[in-house]
Amino acid sequence: MTPLRLRQALTLAWLEARRAFLSRRSFWVYLLALFPAFVFFMHGISVKIQRDRLSSRGVISAALMDSVRESETEAAVIARLGKPVNDFAFDRRAKQDRALVRRVNYFDGSRILVLTFANGVLESKRVRTLVNLEEDRAVFAMVFQNFYLRLAVFFGCLGIFVNLFRGKMMDKTLHFWLLAPMRREVLLGGKYLAGLLAASLIFGLGALLSFRLMLWEKPPAELALFWQQHGPAHAFAYTAAAVLACVGYGSVFLATGLLLRNPIIPAAVLLLWEGANPFLPSMLQKLSVIYYVQALCPVAPPPDPNMPAIMQFLFSPANPPSRLLAVTGLLLVTALVLWLAARAVRKIEINYSTD
Amino acid sequence: MNGAEVILEDVSKFYGEVLGVNRVSLHIPPGITSLVGPNGSGKTTLMNLMAGLIHPDRGSIRVRGISPRDPERLMRITGYATQYDAAPRSMTGFEFISSLLALHGHSRSRSAQLAVQALERVGLSDAAHRKVAGYSKGMRQRVRLAQAIAHDPEVLILDEPLNGLDPLVRAETIEMFRGEAARGRHVILSSHVLQEVDIISDQVILIANGMIAAEGEIRSVREEMHEHPSQFLVRAREASRVASLLFLQDHVTEVRLSEDRQGLLVLTRSREAFSQALASIALDGYGIESVAPVDENVDALYKYLIGGEPS
Amino acid sequence: MPVYRRGYQRYAGPVTAHRHRMLAFPRHAWKRLMEQRLVVLVMLASFFWPLLCAVFVYLSNRADLLQGFDKAFVAFLEVKGRFFLIFMNVQSAAAVILAALAGPGLVAPDLTNNALPLYLSRPVSRFDYVLGRWLVLAALLSPVTWIPGLLLFAIQSGMAGWGWFAANWRLGAGVLLGFAAWILLVSLVALAGSALVRWRIIAGALVLAFFFVLAGAAQIIRQILRTEWSVLMDPGGAMYRIWSSLLGVEAPEGPGALACGLALIAMALLLAWVLERRLRPVEVVS
Repeated sequence: MTPLRLRQALTLAWLEARRAFLSRRSFWVYLLALFPAFVFFMHGISVKIQRDRLSSRGVISAALMDSVRESETEAAVIARLGKPVNDFAFDRRAKQDRALVRRVNYFDGSRILVLTFANGVLESKRVRTLVNLEEDRAVFAMVFQNFYLRLAVFFGCLGIFVNLFRGKMMDKTLHFWLLAPMRREVLLGGKYLAGLLAASLIFGLGALLSFRLMLWEKPPAELALFWQQHGPAHAFAYTAAAVLACVGYGSVFLATGLLLRNPIIPAAVLLLWEGANPFLPSMLQKLSVIYYVQALCPVAPPPDPNMPAIMQFLFSPANPPSRLLAVTGLLLVTALVLWLAARAVRKIEINYSTD
Repeated sequence: MNGAEVILEDVSKFYGEVLGVNRVSLHIPPGITSLVGPNGSGKTTLMNLMAGLIHPDRGSIRVRGISPRDPERLMRITGYATQYDAAPRSMTGFEFISSLLALHGHSRSRSAQLAVQALERVGLSDAAHRKVAGYSKGMRQRVRLAQAIAHDPEVLILDEPLNGLDPLVRAETIEMFRGEAARGRHVILSSHVLQEVDIISDQVILIANGMIAAEGEIRSVREEMHEHPSQFLVRAREASRVASLLFLQDHVTEVRLSEDRQGLLVLTRSREAFSQALASIALDGYGIESVAPVDENVDALYKYLIGGEPS
Repeated sequence: MPVYRRGYQRYAGPVTAHRHRMLAFPRHAWKRLMEQRLVVLVMLASFFWPLLCAVFVYLSNRADLLQGFDKAFVAFLEVKGRFFLIFMNVQSAAAVILAALAGPGLVAPDLTNNALPLYLSRPVSRFDYVLGRWLVLAALLSPVTWIPGLLLFAIQSGMAGWGWFAANWRLGAGVLLGFAAWILLVSLVALAGSALVRWRIIAGALVLAFFFVLAGAAQIIRQILRTEWSVLMDPGGAMYRIWSSLLGVEAPEGPGALACGLALIAMALLLAWVLERRLRPVEVVS
């Protein structure tokens, strides 16, 4: 590539990316990218408020909390552990049985002990962790892979990359770019770069912000250990996965926007294909963007317990490829799609319709 | 000369089953050339073909020796103001022009300088830093024109460039076209307004149903149309006497006397013979005051060749 | 004498009733839709699942064929509320895709081409216009939703006998009501999306995004905040709970049918507000 062509591609990328970042039409892309971060933030606030509220009512030691045994009496437990942070009683009537039930909570700074007494005797004991890093990491993995990649990045890239050609066709301004003295391939490259720059920054930073906010309000010691061990690598992996998803989806949507009058149909098919990925035969699973991108994610999401039995039966995710293979595979697929798009852009004609 | 012409050889373009242009061959020399034809005749298709926005199904096109399939070279020497009333609405006129100039490889300051000049030439300096979304139709027309001329192209292709312009700007724009033509450049335009085409064009291309009906200088095209006698308006003191003398000539097919009996409409098959006969009558002292051709204009050519009114 | 007094005479002949005038809107739109290969193709594909379900109904009623099979399997084949719930769930997705394909072409072109002032300068109201357009979608979505649903119910009633019908008539009513609510919601989304973004393609994407992204957002909230109430912002999930209630199927944990119904009414009102704001007889000069 000559310096002039490179300069043209970069100029175009800058012009288009600036528009993608600043245009009012991009507002919803930011919304998609930042929504998980917002919900994690809300979760953090909720945890903080709950902890402050519980702490203000009294904190017991972890050892004391673990000392409660089955069949202890209400009076003995309360005498030993002191005044609970929450306390309420009610009458329970089931068939012929009637019982006075008292439910009390104790807090040790991170865990909540829920004790249920029936007629003064301990009936059940449950410990709920107010903040659980492991649990939240699994939740993040699920949210990131099942929703952030499959929906937010998918629809965001659809909006950004389809707009680069089909959008310009629709607002009848594509010809201005075709009237610039540059090769059509340079035009394609510049536009792809613009979309990639915008999508990667928005969704990469969105992923990073979500990850950071997921860790907010976690016990400092646990958090420090996590940052020492896996934290930076995980943060990098999630950001890289988001960026690579933009690379893959971006190329597909750029090409469909270029090749097809109505790119929504292939987008809908791709959405269903990517969504149904873990239910497909393992060979077919490899023909998707999500298969490679998921391989980069450091934590496997737990299976959804609410999944219907028949779906659980069909659910069989293929063995993920190695990270190197995933990145290489995705880049190769992207290169192939862009090569096809380059062939199409050479033949592109201005024929504005009323779409 | 070929390297300095716009050449179309046997060019056809179809949109599915709809005809765009059919077997068009043209050699357009520098100067102002007007494309005239009714709606859907193929004017815009021809212009889009020259600019490489669409590609011919058959035939070849060279714009000053460059193929439209090579936009990298073609667009350095070509500027095209399309008929599409669209420009990026979120940008200012200045940003729009300067950003396109940046794609030519100009530095930021040079792009800014050229953009300012182009906007000045189309009389849009005052609105240069306003968003295109707030422009009137005429201003949008001008910003498109500025976009076409900003890089000082050798070939200007302009689809209905005078549409929506007020009379003053229209006159200035026509002057600009003339200036470009005088510098040996191509100005290829289409227009609805035949009087304007008549005034500004060095040559016309009449197009109907995707085919070329006529091309060349207006007068020479008119001379080629033997089946339509040439018409002249003669004013003379003794008009009825002049009429009887002219009627004796073989080439004169019809003479009509005006109501004030001082004007004559003469239809002749030979312009040369008519000139000689009239000169001789004038020398005999019949008080001939003026002679003017009536149908040596695009309007008449249009009516003769295509029929109806252009649009 | 003014010209109009000499030359103009107001039309004084018969006119159609007001309620008939809006039928001019769907008349041509329906024909145009049926000319779109993709719409026809998706519609045909949408009949696949009802056919499969019809086979299921047939099999479940052939006791002679089921002899010797495991009891659990025979119980699995029994046609009850859950069967209709699964049927409705699949067909509702088909309805969304059809609406995303067909809906945006109904309003967006009128806005892009400034046709609303033309329509509304006739003796029809904005409500008539919306209703006319809505009828197109209702007619398009009915053959893939409540009509095959009721057919399945009829087949089952016919094969299982009067006793089954008397005990389960509620299922038929549930299918009809449930799908009617779904058609109303999906059509409103399609019309509002189309009125909002003007471009058919983007409007189509918006319809899909409305259902998929909101479902995703609800799941994100559910996972992170550990609350089932997030289903109120998921139109598909909320409707599922209403259907469960109508069909007498145990619903998942979380808000009940009433809360879900209120949430969907709020969504519908919001969409109607969008239509009210966007569909105005003004010409937008661009």
